Formats: sequence, C-alpha cells, structure tokens
Amino acid sequence: MKRNISSLAVFSGKPTFDSPLPVGQMNFAEWERFESAFRGIFARRYYTNHGPLVQELEARLCNMLGVKHAICTTNATIALLIAAKALELHGKVVVPAFTFAATVQSLTWAGIEPIFCDVNPVTHHITPELVEPLLDDSVSAVLAVHLWGNVCDIEGLSQIAAKKNIHLYFDAAHAFGSTCNNIPAGSFGDMEIFSFHGTKVINAAEGGCISTNNDYLAERLRNIRSSYGIRGTVYPNIMTSNGRMSEAQAALALLSLEDYDKNSQLNRDRFERYISHLKILPGFKFISVKSDEKSNYQYVVAEVDHEAFGISRDELVYILKAENILCRKYFAPGLHRCPPYNEQYPHFLNSLPNTDILCSKVIQFPSGQLITMEDIHTISTLVIYIHEHASDIRERLFHVK
Amino acid sequence: MIKRNIDDLALFGGPKAFWEIRSTSNLVQPDIENFLNYSKRIYKNRRITNNGPLVQELEARLATLHETSYCITFCSGFMALMLAIYDMHIKGINEGEAEVIMPSLTYRRMADIAAWAGLVPSFCDVDTNTLGMTAETVEPCINKKTTLILGVHPIVNLCDINGLEQLSKQYNIPLLFDSVEASLASYKGKMIGSFGQAEVFSLHASKLLNGFEGGYLTTNDGELAEGLRKGRSFGFSGRDTIVRLGLNAKLNEVHAAMTLACLDEIDSQITSNKIRYMAYKERLADIEGVDIVPYDEREKRSFKNILVKLDNSWPLSREHTLQILHAENLLARPYYYPPLHKKDTPYKQKMCNNLHITEPLSLNHMLLPCGEFVSVEDVNLAVDILAFLHDHGMELQKHFAAEEVK
Repeated sequence: MKRNISSLAVFSGKPTFDSPLPVGQMNFAEWERFESAFRGIFARRYYTNHGPLVQELEARLCNMLGVKHAICTTNATIALLIAAKALELHGKVVVPAFTFAATVQSLTWAGIEPIFCDVNPVTHHITPELVEPLLDDSVSAVLAVHLWGNVCDIEGLSQIAAKKNIHLYFDAAHAFGSTCNNIPAGSFGDMEIFSFHGTKVINAAEGGCISTNNDYLAERLRNIRSSYGIRGTVYPNIMTSNGRMSEAQAALALLSLEDYDKNSQLNRDRFERYISHLKILPGFKFISVKSDEKSNYQYVVAEVDHEAFGISRDELVYILKAENILCRKYFAPGLHRCPPYNEQYPHFLNSLPNTDILCSKVIQFPSGQLITMEDIHTISTLVIYIHEHASDIRERLFHVK
Repeated sequence: MIKRNIDDLALFGGPKAFWEIRSTSNLVQPDIENFLNYSKRIYKNRRITNNGPLVQELEARLATLHETSYCITFCSGFMALMLAIYDMHIKGINEGEAEVIMPSLTYRRMADIAAWAGLVPSFCDVDTNTLGMTAETVEPCINKKTTLILGVHPIVNLCDINGLEQLSKQYNIPLLFDSVEASLASYKGKMIGSFGQAEVFSLHASKLLNGFEGGYLTTNDGELAEGLRKGRSFGFSGRDTIVRLGLNAKLNEVHAAMTLACLDEIDSQITSNKIRYMAYKERLADIEGVDIVPYDEREKRSFKNILVKLDNSWPLSREHTLQILHAENLLARPYYYPPLHKKDTPYKQKMCNNLHITEPLSLNHMLLPCGEFVSVEDVNLAVDILAFLHDHGMELQKHFAAEEVK
C-alpha cells in the first residue's frame, strides 16, 4: 500500500510486486499432464506432418466451434497468410488499423494492398457503415477483426460482402469461445482465423487454426499449409508454404482445450473483480461483454480518459510497469502509423480519427492463472491511488522526465 | 523373408519384407528424460515462446557449433529462407521482375519461398557429379535483374562454395546458402555456417536435429541478424514499436527443448549414421547398376542421407523400382522429382538455360531409407531386395512390359 507518492516505484519506491506480473494468459496444464502427453508422442514417434494429435485437435475444434473444417497451423499469422492465398485475393482488402500487426502484415506478404477502415468508438470493431464507402472495384475482400472476446457485427458485414460479391473473413485471434447470437465464432464469413499463442486462452505455445464451412476452401487451405498424410485433393497449380502444426503444439492445445471451461471461468472471475473495483473510477471504462453472449474473458481491457482520470494511458502504463505490473498499450500506434504503411499509404495518417483516439486510450490489465484475486485487489487499489493523486504524480513525473 | 522368385515380391502378392515402414525421414528421438528436464525449465521460467531462455541457449550453442557470431531460430526452415531472401536481396529492381537464382533440382517448395518473398525464381543447372550448383552453372543466369544467389547444397556433400562466393563478389550479388541437407558438414576443414552472407538450416523431424518443426540461420553479419530478429517477431523493436514489415516466425520453447536434447546426442547420432552409410556402401558395391553417391570422408559429414544412382545397366525404370520397394514397406523416394521447372505455378518463374543436366539427373537418382528406424539388418535386407531385382531383371522387365500391353 502506497502512503505517499514517493513510495511509488516510478519515484524509486519499492515495487508493489517482487517480480513482473505477465499481461497475457500464460495458462499451463499441470506438469503431470504435460509429461504424460509427451511420453505419448515419444512412444508413437510421430512428431509432425499432420500427426494423430493434430487430427484429433482438428476434429475437436470442429465440434467445439460448430464448423465443418478446422485446419491447424504453426501460428495465427501464417494462418492469415495461407487464408489470403486460399481466397485468391487480389488488389485491395479492407482491414482495420486498430488491430495487431499480423492482421495487416499477412496481406502485405500475400501481395495485397490494405485499405484501412476506421472503427466504431464503442465496440472497437469495423462496421458496415464504415466499410461501405471504401468498397470500390479494386477491393476483393473485407478482413474484419473480433476484439477483446467480442464478435463483430456479423449480419451487417455479411450483407455488405454479399451485396458487393466480395470475400469476408475474420481475424478471430481474440474470439475463441465467443459468440454472436449465441453462435460461436468459427463459422462466420468465408473463414475465421484463431490464435493459440501462449498469451491466449488456448495455449499451444505457438499455434493457430483456420475454420470454414466451405469444402473447396478447406482443401485449398490444406494444400497451401502442406498436409502430409492427408489424401485429399491435390491442387497442382498452387503456391504452398509450411504452416504445419507439430504434435507438440497439438498436445499443448488439447490440454488447454480440456481446461477451457475452467480457464474461461477463471478469466471471468478476474474480469468481474477488476470491474467491481474500478467501474466507478472517473475516466475509466472497461470494454464489457454483452450480457446475452458468451466470451473467453481473456482480455481485461479499459479505455483511460486522460482528462477525467487525471493522467494519460501512457503514463499509467509507465507507472504500473515500475511496480512490476505489465500492462499493455493496445494498439499503439495503429498500423496506419507503423512502417512500412505510414510511408506507403500516408493518406491514411489523418483519416482514422476513432482509431487514433483509441490507440491513445486502451490498456490491457494482467489476467489468467498467474494472477490472483488478491493481485487484482492490489492493482486496483493502486490505480485508484494514482487517480486520487494524479496531479501531484504528473507534476513529479514531469520533473523526473 | 528371402525372395526366391518374383511372385515372392510384395507387389505381386508375396509377404512384405518389412513389417513396419522404413522411410527416408530421420525421426531421431532424443532421450525422453533429457527432453523432459529441458521442458521443466519452461514450467519454471513460465516462458513458452517469444525468444525464451531455451531459444536463446539453443541459438548460442548453434552459433558455437557453426563457428558464427549469430544464430537466429525460426518456426521453420521455410520461414527462415523466406525472411532471409526478403531481407538480403538487392532492392530497387521492379517488383515482379527481381530474380533469385536457384537450382531446379531441389526442395519442392523452394520456388514458392522465393515467390512469397516477392521474387522470381530463376532456375540454373547443376553439376553432373556433385548434383550441386557451380560457378559454371550459375554464371550464365546472372543478369541485371539478379538480386540474390540461393546456393542450395545437394543431399550428399556440398555445392561449389568457393566458386559461388567468387561469383557473388565479382558481380556484387548477395549469396545465401540453403544448408538444410548439409547440416553439420565442413568445407575445406571449416564448419559450414559462415559461408556467403548467411546459411539456413532446418529442425524438421526428418532432419539431423529433430525440433518437431523449426529452422535457423547463421551469419556473421550483425545488421542482417538484427533485422531478422525483428522480422521474425512482427517487426517489433522493443515492446511497442514496429520498425519494419515482419510476421510471426518464432521458434517456441518446446521445440527448442527438443532440439537441445537432440544436440546433446549429436555425436552418437552421426556415428550411427556413418555405420548405416558404410553398410549400404559396402553391400551396394557388389550390385551392378546401383551406385551409391559417396560422401567425401575427408571432410566432416553427418552421413544421414543415402542417395543412389541407377545407371544404364540397371534393368528397371526408377518408377518400377520404387513401386516394388514401396510394396515391401521400403519408402525409397525419387531424388527431387519433378524438378521445379516442370511444375505449373500461379506466379512467374524462369529457366535461365536449358537444364540439360538437371533433367536426366532428376530421372535416375533415388533416396534409400535411412535414419533412426533403420538398423544394419534393415540395410542388408534392403540391399538383398535390390540384388534380387537385379538378378531377376529380365523376368521383371517382361512382366512390366506385359502389364503395359494390357
């Protein structure tokens, strides 16, 4: 507990936590389960190239996501690259700049030019209204991004894609287990791409998955990913890659899948604890989940309003980092302001006002197995303390800097 | 089970010579307790990816092994090559025109890798004896649009490192080696890893070091290394700043643990590989028409791959030979067939000369089963079958001819 602002670690006080609290999920299965899964792999001596665990994982994902095909990959970025090639995209694709770098970078690797779309300031998603004016004949697809465990406006985006006869696919890295009208993300648009990175609710160390109901696209995806052991249709005239998931990754993902209910509930408890502590704080707004939908609750994300809260998001992240609380700025800066896009497409620099505001406000708090309810109490108390002493802290920060 | 007449061949209904498949994949398995000990550190560190401590330890050990200043790991050899080609090629040539010179007789996805990096693969011929690129086969392909030479080592021994390095200097074109098949070889007594501007290796389960999936690059060029480190992690420099185009090509900690465990046993693995190779070499010497492609035993070699050439005195086509072997559970494979220039691609590619050496080579070489699953008894049995095929050549020829008539 801080008694005066000099006791803040940023002013050389003792950090609140002895070691850094991670911001991502970092959920691990118990060691015994890890060991037993890997003894199984060693007994089978099957290490990669579409092995039995990857096949089991794909079958279970189909079931869980309610979709015909699940194609597991090395990671979600490579999945996005493969998706762009499988869809035979050309010309331009509409995509938000308020997203993780991989979403846009996948287009560049596939030889596609991004058209950056602004986002709705409340949901943080692109909307049909924002997308429509950007659609001209050069656009071959819309790549929408589900953020923070909430799902985009599926109906509106699907209608507009159908009307213009272009592809619609989703970066669903945040949306495993999340629903729209109680249908889980996985079967929306032409395909959806999930992430199983260690910071996500399903942890395959690294990993990803593409889901689709389209048989033709599924075959193309499997061809481009490379799928030894699968005797499907082989397309000769295709540009392939190596996007295979190993048996090691699949083993981890399967363990994580078994723990999904437990871990998403654990996330929800933490999410709600943060909200109960901080909801009344001026200038602090959590991005919540619609009450009638499901979510994985893996992202505890808030907007910090500089004026009302008293200090800026960047300053808050800086102060908390000194306390060993690793909060993350999302997405700072937006992709339209990052190389190579800021130089290649400078016309977007001043055309995304909502994105720019959100990029300066959004903060992610630590959650997952490693964070206790008591930690959240401590973090929240500290955030309230920072708010209450904001002007003194700012003044002193100014001198320190 | 000894074959007495051709009806004893599994292809014609006889029992299979091998109960289990013998393939050309290495699938080497390290000691599981050692692997689990490395993995326990993942739990202790609570780090499972993003340039974790095991990845850093692996990179340091590989750099030492290859005698280079830098080693950078990747999620695959494919992604290592794609990023390295993208970073190293000369910039400024019109997009869709810039060329990378590579052999046609190579890994089936090699041209695709160049296309992902935005370059046009330009196929060169190889040397008849080494099956590798030489200054003579590469030089005719160099033109104003050449932005990179990809020096790919063949499956046995090395390509003409000296000749390619001289060409690279003379024309001022960067040189990247694909050393995936060469693994831990030496050139004129020096461990490979620091030739050209960089070299790429694979950690796929079928390769010398089994990391499930994975790859790495070695170089002495600090700037290149720094750029690739950022490139493999979305172009991030530090926590929040993106400074370049990148993607996710990181090796995770579990794959690093597996590779480290394999690395601990590398000497004994190479010893077993050499025993297998010597057994093949000795036995095949007695069989007319099958010539093993010999390793240069004066240099350091890992002896994993077993490559043979079927010469004119061999009575069967390679395809019939493979058909018979596959039926016996011997998954021998054609050597890089079809060559890349014979494949249709959705992107532009180029033959820079007529590849008159590549074509016949692509038709008469094959890889024999090797790696951890293959014992010396297996080698003997495999060679017995080849001897049987040779001795019953006329009869088999008649059989296949009659089948063709049908």
